[in-house]
Amino acid sequence: MRKGFSGVVMLVLLAVMISACSGNNNAGAPNTSETPAESQQPAASEGPKDGGNLIIGVASDPVVLNPNYAGDRVSLTIDQALYAPLFQVNNGEKTYYLAESLTPSEDNLTYTLRLKDGLTWHDGEKLTADDVVFTIDSILDEKQNSFLRANFLIGDKAITATKVDDLTVEFKLPQVAPAFEATLVQVFPIPKHVFENEADIEKSTKNAAPVGSGPFKFKEYKAGEYVTLERFDNYFGGKPHLDSVTYRIAKDTNAANLALQNGEINVQYLDPKDVATIEATNNFEILPYSEGRLSYLMFNAGSDTGALAKKEVRQALSLALSRDEIIQTAYTSTEYADPAKSFLTPDALYHTNDVTSFDNDPAKAKEMLAAAGESNLKLRFIVQSGNKAQEAISLYVQQKLKEIGVEVELQSMDSSAWVQKFIDLNATDYELALTGYIMGYDPDAYRILFTTGASSNYTRYANSEVDQLLNDGAGEADPAKRGEIYTKAQQIIAEDAPIYPIAYTKTVVAVSNQYGGIEEAVLKPVVIFEDLSKLYLK
Amino acid sequence: MRQLIVRRLLQTVPMLFFVSVVCFAMIKLAPGDPVLSFVTPNMHADDIERIRHNLGLDKPAYVQYFLWLKEILQGDFGYSLVNHQPVLDQILDRLPATAGLMGSAIALAVLLAIPLGLIAGANRNRWADKLINLVAYIGISVPLFWLAILLMYLFAIKLHLLPSMGMRTIGVESAWDVVKHGILPCTVLAFGFLASYVRYIRSSTIGQLKEEYVQIQYAFGSRKSTILFRHVLKHVLLPVITLLGMSMGDLVAGAIVTETVFSWPGIGSLGMTAVKGMDYPLIMGITLFSSLMLILGNLIADILYSFVDPRIKLKG
Repeated sequence: MRKGFSGVVMLVLLAVMISACSGNNNAGAPNTSETPAESQQPAASEGPKDGGNLIIGVASDPVVLNPNYAGDRVSLTIDQALYAPLFQVNNGEKTYYLAESLTPSEDNLTYTLRLKDGLTWHDGEKLTADDVVFTIDSILDEKQNSFLRANFLIGDKAITATKVDDLTVEFKLPQVAPAFEATLVQVFPIPKHVFENEADIEKSTKNAAPVGSGPFKFKEYKAGEYVTLERFDNYFGGKPHLDSVTYRIAKDTNAANLALQNGEINVQYLDPKDVATIEATNNFEILPYSEGRLSYLMFNAGSDTGALAKKEVRQALSLALSRDEIIQTAYTSTEYADPAKSFLTPDALYHTNDVTSFDNDPAKAKEMLAAAGESNLKLRFIVQSGNKAQEAISLYVQQKLKEIGVEVELQSMDSSAWVQKFIDLNATDYELALTGYIMGYDPDAYRILFTTGASSNYTRYANSEVDQLLNDGAGEADPAKRGEIYTKAQQIIAEDAPIYPIAYTKTVVAVSNQYGGIEEAVLKPVVIFEDLSKLYLK
Repeated sequence: MRQLIVRRLLQTVPMLFFVSVVCFAMIKLAPGDPVLSFVTPNMHADDIERIRHNLGLDKPAYVQYFLWLKEILQGDFGYSLVNHQPVLDQILDRLPATAGLMGSAIALAVLLAIPLGLIAGANRNRWADKLINLVAYIGISVPLFWLAILLMYLFAIKLHLLPSMGMRTIGVESAWDVVKHGILPCTVLAFGFLASYVRYIRSSTIGQLKEEYVQIQYAFGSRKSTILFRHVLKHVLLPVITLLGMSMGDLVAGAIVTETVFSWPGIGSLGMTAVKGMDYPLIMGITLFSSLMLILGNLIADILYSFVDPRIKLKG
């Protein structure tokens, strides 16, 4: 009988092994489970069709489905489909959504916004100038805690919005500010009739069933699982092609990639290292696109050793490094990251990469260090532990700087401790950090990074000429003059080397090749698609 | 007996207080600042301070703690700092998913562990024992997230038998659909539990086989299988009660890794999000809730013991 028991165990194990093997043999067999999309043959028809669903993989639950408060990637992504913007800007060109036009006055102190006629909210109410004014007022109301508020202050004065008639809103600016258009790009009106009289809109229970004006309206949210939106037939841009869009929460990257291959997710961000695997299935379009982000090595000029306060030292350190090698190390190839020289990203107005670049000349680096009177330089490099790209690049930097006689001590720390140290403008106990920013298309946004003593000047860079240029640029209405100002600022900052620009990074998105209309939907940093109404199932 | 239970219940109060103090202190000592998740680069310093003030995070830590305690005593778990939803609602919302998954995983593990443990114990150091031990050691040493991905690849991508992740097919509301989604995470978790359960039951079996009653049964000529499954089994079930009591905490705390990998909408993955966002009220709520269940689970196990095994008397 003893033998009998063992026999049973053996059998179970064998059965498992056999089924495992047959699994591999079945790899090419047709798909019978929940992959409706994959089992249908793509139709050969031309042009968009109506119907079908889309599932977009997202990494976490949305924090709040209200565009006045959405700051996290997932909320912003969902809000992009749920709420319509006034207008968007791509490559300096405006695409109008709720707005029909935006006209500045002669003196550039008043902007008149015309809304399209016949706009409606998802619940059927009319969308009018009242809603736009209400949205701006809520953002400006200190009690409402919108983080967009700072954008509506110029100096310490607020921009005001007033209703002229049902379709017209007038904005008054305290001083000339061409970046105001970039501020309006971030405004997605919220419905006055829903949120009027709410003491705290951010915490309102009404955010649980949002009413927007975008191509898709809210249907269902299951915490930790998914958010489903369905077609809004009265969308002003024309009835959307898809019946529904679902944002599926997939917290683990590896699992999400498997779900993508299994057809349980149709659109998903990819790590460059996973591209080959997904590409090999031939079921996806792999779309790398610029996310308007600069990745760079930061020099802390305010460190207690004072070494990096000298621009010659920063230039020498830059010369010791090779941009191409770092890109290879961190992004596998230039396919996913364009070499960067300017502090402005390519999507920004007046961007030019035709500036001085200190790169890949160790011999000259040594000379410059000696000329600057620096020997036995020791630098502290703060690194987020567990961040693979940062760890790889920091090791590379350590090795390259050693070649020019600079010792780098890597200080690995928890990511939240790292952030705390990084944003602390009084932190003087480190010299190097690896980071990046997405600042938007208007160059004025970069003022807070590079003017002396500004709120986000983490490099502690100080150059009065740059301060002057960036302040002039903020208030210069003439595009030609403004262009000159920012070109000059880019040249000076590149020469001063407060940062070592590495790359303008790209996001890689995989889209199931059963979907069409990607070009019309416009790939967009952070939110993936600008206008989901244009996407269709082939 | 009733008096005793009341006394044990009262003892949980200082225990929970202690747990909450330690937990709060640890969160406060950890690096990071919940306000950072609200900060954008162009915010003024006074905007940031205003947010901090609105969240009550500008008060000294001990004041924050007592304010929290005061609310808890009134049954109010507070609101998440990140999404402003009530903490208790969020926990209760996730509870069925976690309890269902963990409950079935523990049940599966126990059901498999009992025969395996008995067989291993009865065949000590023979090949059946070695084989079961090998499986148990693999269960202990294999990282669950790796096993999870492996099974997902096999059963979802290659065999197309099961969905890879989530708890439901989108828009489908059926029990069978949830069960189908639950098979893989349940298997992974059960495999993790199984290992320690088998080891537990095996050593208990070895101990029992040395007892006189077993020798007497042999003397009467009973077959080994009869002895094992009729007589030894009863005794071996006792430690299983302890195991189950100790698993009560897991039952509500969920399994952070497995839930995260499978995107199972339970308390484990909620806890992970809470820790990442430094969401104090949510972290405290989950900790307190699972500590309470652990303590209650042990109490229930102790009470059950006194019923099942007359040799054991509950004494305060």
